[in-house]
Amino acid sequence: MLLREVEYARPASVQDALRLLSGHEGARALAGGQTLINVMKARAASPDVLVDLSALDDLRGIDLGADGTLTLGAMVTYTEIVESVEARARPILGEVCSQIADVQVRNRGTIGGNLCSNDPTNHLPPLMVALGATMTILGADGERQVPADEFFLGVYMTAVAPGELLMRVSIPPGRSDGFASVPIGRDGTCIVNAAASLGGGSPRLAIGCVDAVPVLLTPGSVEEDAVREAVRGANLDPPSDVHASADYRRHLAEVLAARAVQQAQERRH
Amino acid sequence: MTETTTVSPAQPLVVEEGEEQRGFIGQNIPRKEDKRLVQGQGVFVDDVKRHEMGYVHFVRSPYAHARIKHVDVAKALELDGVYGTLTGDEVAILTDPFFELSTPPGAHIKDYALAVGTARHVGDPIAAVVASTRELARDAAELVEVEYEPLPLVLDGEEALKYDVVLHEDAGSNTVWSGTFDWGDFDAALAEADHVVKIERLHFDRFSSTPLECSGCLVEYNRGTGQWTIYGNHQMPGVGAIWMAPALRVGLDKLRFVSQDIGGGFGNKITLHPQFTACCLLARKLNRPVQWTEWRTDQHTANTHGNERTFLDVTVPVKADGTMLGFSVRAIDDCGAFPRYEPLGCIIWAQVTPGCYRWRNVRVDFTQVCTNKSPVAPNRGYSRMQHLWLTERIVDIVAQELGLDPVAVRKKNYVKHEEFPYETPNGCVYDSGDYARCLDIALGLIGYDKIEERRVDAEARGKLLGVGIGSTLDSGTNNFGQSMILNPELQFSGNNEVATVKLDIFGEIVVTLGTVPQGQGHETTTAQVVADILGCTPDDVNVRAGHDSYWNSHAGFSGTYASQFAVTGLGAVKGAADKLADEMKRLAAAVFGCPPDAIELAESQARIKGNPEAALPFMALGAILNANNAGLPEDLDVTLNVRHVYRPPFEKPDLERKYGNLTLTYATQVHACVLEVDPETGVYEIVDYAAVDDCGKRIHPQIVEGQVHGATAQALGAATHEIFTYDEQGNLLTPNFYDYHVPHALDMPPMQTGFIESESPFTPLGAKGMGEGGGAGIHAVCAGLQDALGRRGEGPIVWRSCNPYHRVWELLQKPGDTRRLVSVESR
Amino acid sequence: MEAGTAQTVRSQTVAVEVNGVQYEREVDARRLLIHFIRDDLGLTGSHIGCDTGNCGACSIIVDGTLLKSCMMLAVQADGAGIETVEGLADGDELTPLQQAFSEHHALQCGYCTPGMLMSATALLRQSKSPSDDEIRRAIQGNLCRCTGYVNIVEAIKAAAK
Repeated sequence: MLLREVEYARPASVQDALRLLSGHEGARALAGGQTLINVMKARAASPDVLVDLSALDDLRGIDLGADGTLTLGAMVTYTEIVESVEARARPILGEVCSQIADVQVRNRGTIGGNLCSNDPTNHLPPLMVALGATMTILGADGERQVPADEFFLGVYMTAVAPGELLMRVSIPPGRSDGFASVPIGRDGTCIVNAAASLGGGSPRLAIGCVDAVPVLLTPGSVEEDAVREAVRGANLDPPSDVHASADYRRHLAEVLAARAVQQAQERRH
Repeated sequence: MTETTTVSPAQPLVVEEGEEQRGFIGQNIPRKEDKRLVQGQGVFVDDVKRHEMGYVHFVRSPYAHARIKHVDVAKALELDGVYGTLTGDEVAILTDPFFELSTPPGAHIKDYALAVGTARHVGDPIAAVVASTRELARDAAELVEVEYEPLPLVLDGEEALKYDVVLHEDAGSNTVWSGTFDWGDFDAALAEADHVVKIERLHFDRFSSTPLECSGCLVEYNRGTGQWTIYGNHQMPGVGAIWMAPALRVGLDKLRFVSQDIGGGFGNKITLHPQFTACCLLARKLNRPVQWTEWRTDQHTANTHGNERTFLDVTVPVKADGTMLGFSVRAIDDCGAFPRYEPLGCIIWAQVTPGCYRWRNVRVDFTQVCTNKSPVAPNRGYSRMQHLWLTERIVDIVAQELGLDPVAVRKKNYVKHEEFPYETPNGCVYDSGDYARCLDIALGLIGYDKIEERRVDAEARGKLLGVGIGSTLDSGTNNFGQSMILNPELQFSGNNEVATVKLDIFGEIVVTLGTVPQGQGHETTTAQVVADILGCTPDDVNVRAGHDSYWNSHAGFSGTYASQFAVTGLGAVKGAADKLADEMKRLAAAVFGCPPDAIELAESQARIKGNPEAALPFMALGAILNANNAGLPEDLDVTLNVRHVYRPPFEKPDLERKYGNLTLTYATQVHACVLEVDPETGVYEIVDYAAVDDCGKRIHPQIVEGQVHGATAQALGAATHEIFTYDEQGNLLTPNFYDYHVPHALDMPPMQTGFIESESPFTPLGAKGMGEGGGAGIHAVCAGLQDALGRRGEGPIVWRSCNPYHRVWELLQKPGDTRRLVSVESR
Repeated sequence: MEAGTAQTVRSQTVAVEVNGVQYEREVDARRLLIHFIRDDLGLTGSHIGCDTGNCGACSIIVDGTLLKSCMMLAVQADGAGIETVEGLADGDELTPLQQAFSEHHALQCGYCTPGMLMSATALLRQSKSPSDDEIRRAIQGNLCRCTGYVNIVEAIKAAAK
């Protein structure tokens, strides 16, 4: 509804942002605000200081490297990803981003925000895990790279520590990707989602909405039985809520995993 | 995409000898409301500002049931910018409990503007804080310290009947009202039956129409006169005043209700009297205007839901040829923590006792109970929707279990076209209609003759196809005498609505309405009717926007609800315009020295028939009477300022037999849907949809169709995702639009519409009220799912009104769980 | 690298241009942009329908971008050019889009209408003849409880012609 009192700053440089984030204990980065402002309206969390990242050009831009690596600045919006020519190198990115909410949200929501808020129902965490993305975090000691499967630590918690900043996300080249979900209404919140990617070796499969962090599985083969067996073998213990029972989520995880892998298969050629 | 079917020819309305003139009624004239609304110039309650006003924030109970031990506002009052507070203790001293409609024990429930002594649902308002900004009021509310002693709670209607947990000690019971309705001879019907189908349980889920604009008011108090002015979006202020005035211990006239634009009501803005009363007390106490706007979360948790109803032991006697003889049922209605407008829901369903069908033997054992959930209000389709859903589930399940064709069974049992006006077993008169024809049109629109091909095609894609029919009635214009069936002590019967029409000194036509529109286009349809009667254009007719008690154009039942404007509102308008027309003719006749029946009204003039040169423009008429009236005959009784109260022709019901005509008109809606279920996930999609309506004479076809579209969207939401579910502590799990999914533009199926016009013989314009829609979409989707999933004798039974994906999946996984709800005894 | 010097503030002056008019107000950092527009600037055409950023009634255009103003702080809009529903018509002259809404009965209570119009305006700037599906996607973030969206889609399609 309405925020508690808060202090606000809009730094002009990444270093200044770091100074502000590390200088105040209750400081949070404000990216697109599509999650954080709502959280603050509900007073579920009330950071003392908001550090607005909107003036930081270093966090913008989509770059397609010569080796096919796609690098997205943390403040790149979903709309920018959907409309980007460079991002077409990895089509699943635009496809999944265009399934997030609606135009208004996509115009403001950012990849950095989506990843760092790590709501278990978000689209991008399982996708990044499946794609084998790498996150670059800037801290007091400089930049460090964290692979996606080590980035997500708990509900709303990532490897970005207080006082640090997610700079960019790097995605290796590839096109054999799939994503399947059951949302509440078209492009609504996901009940369960699954992302799959077929690199050279065995498939990478990440299931979202079933645990605090995306569950990474590497089934022996792309055959449906192997995929379903891998999901069952993970002994998922998903939450029960108004939209789904634990059993239903467990079941959907299997079905969607198989569908995501199949979609990735279809894009192999 | 509107398929127009038969339309009765536009009736000429101004018929002079040898002349016919096409009227505005029946045309889609541009809406008068639109110009301001598309520019963002509407005035909704939160748009109204007053100098030095304070913003209200309610402190609400986090517990579903708790003793309120202590409320301490001291810290809140210390916050800079806080103007004051209000607590339950003060309310208990300053006001009397709100008037209860029920008989004992329900009559003994004490309901106040704030919780007094006990909190009875999560969100129950405990205290109110007023501050100079919205944010400060919110901050201050957190500083109010409340000591609660949590109590055991009850969240289920059947559990509530055990009285282990009683919400209202003054009543000593959770039962608000209970009674038996028995018409025809059900036992004889049972004896006569060739099959008896029993359905152990059906459940109509809690949801609401969640209007986009939340409730709100800005209240000013005039110390000198004791007058409150309430700018508020109450959609039935006449009734609101009846509750508030005695509670505040003042005369009705001390409460002036004003509104201009309202962002949807759908029945959820009818029981705002508790919040409005709290604001009245605050405005008086703090000597400043106070403004309250409800938060979305508060609307979901603490404003109102639609009635939740459980149907038990449904028993249906059926003949071998598919004729159903009636049904019996035990109904338990869960009205949440406070009845308020209830127990009217306990009788309102009886307007449509046999649904669309010719069933003569109906027995209903009806009980309404309180639980620790949000109170209910007359949500769109109020009480008839729940009952009509029951009748459609009955038809569907019986057809499936007996291997009968759902279309043939409906046509066999529908009231037939030639039987109208048709009197139901409890004396309600269905005015007109042709249900079978509407069904045929709906089936045509979805391509029913090709359905089996589509089913095969769907199967090839791994999907289960289902077709569902939802037939329903939109009963409109209540006879409030039905409330006496529930409580003979109540002094309510009949109905009324008011309108005024005047011709001003400069020839301006000005109309005021008693209704309180929330988007139904009253200004426009009113102008059409007045224009046709007075012989001018709708542009010449100025209809004041909104509602104001000071216009004195309202009566006890005034408001916009219950699908009745076309009958009551326009009935009042027509009555007033007719009287004004008569006065204008008599005035012109006096001026010209001819008999009044020689005068006609046309082209904004009063003129002698056959002699258009002898004409008085409206301006002249207005000026003569108001400013230049010397020489007029002494006995000319003309004021050019007319007020008319429309009264529908009702009798008081027979209380003993619970018998009588309870509504004046019955609009029909027959919907058909085609859906595909993914059996692997339980996800389903509606791939085709048709809505056919019959509301008699359509005053403004676009407005009618708009209501059909909107009612369909709401019903589809209620059928798929919109449900109010609670956890074990009584917390609402869908308290906002994030979790409570309302259909958006991409969720809507392709929709086709059709219509016929069976004029009502009972109304001034042949029009019937419409708008609520009777929940046809819910009935159709449930039927479609039943068709897709069900298999005679084996498959699951769709027994709940809302079927989100997880529920469909459960039906598929464990058909036995629901299969055992149905049994068939064949003789 | 040198650290910058941005200071945190509890409130600040916000200067915006709304529908071509300059405004400057002192505002708390915590104030939502929608409340700033409605209460501080008195432009009550944009509405509030929910708490969670779902309903879209608060949709406006900021520096050319369609967004929901309930999920933005007023201080974030300092220096921005804002367009709201009040800026669409030219005096008394309604735009073709506004007229189409009326002709096609795309509004009933009118509460979602300002947001719908802004979303449609944003769409029509990008796409000269959008398909039905594109139109629905463009207004996916605008909830309506009255119309069922049927006539809204028709109106936007007609305005695009």
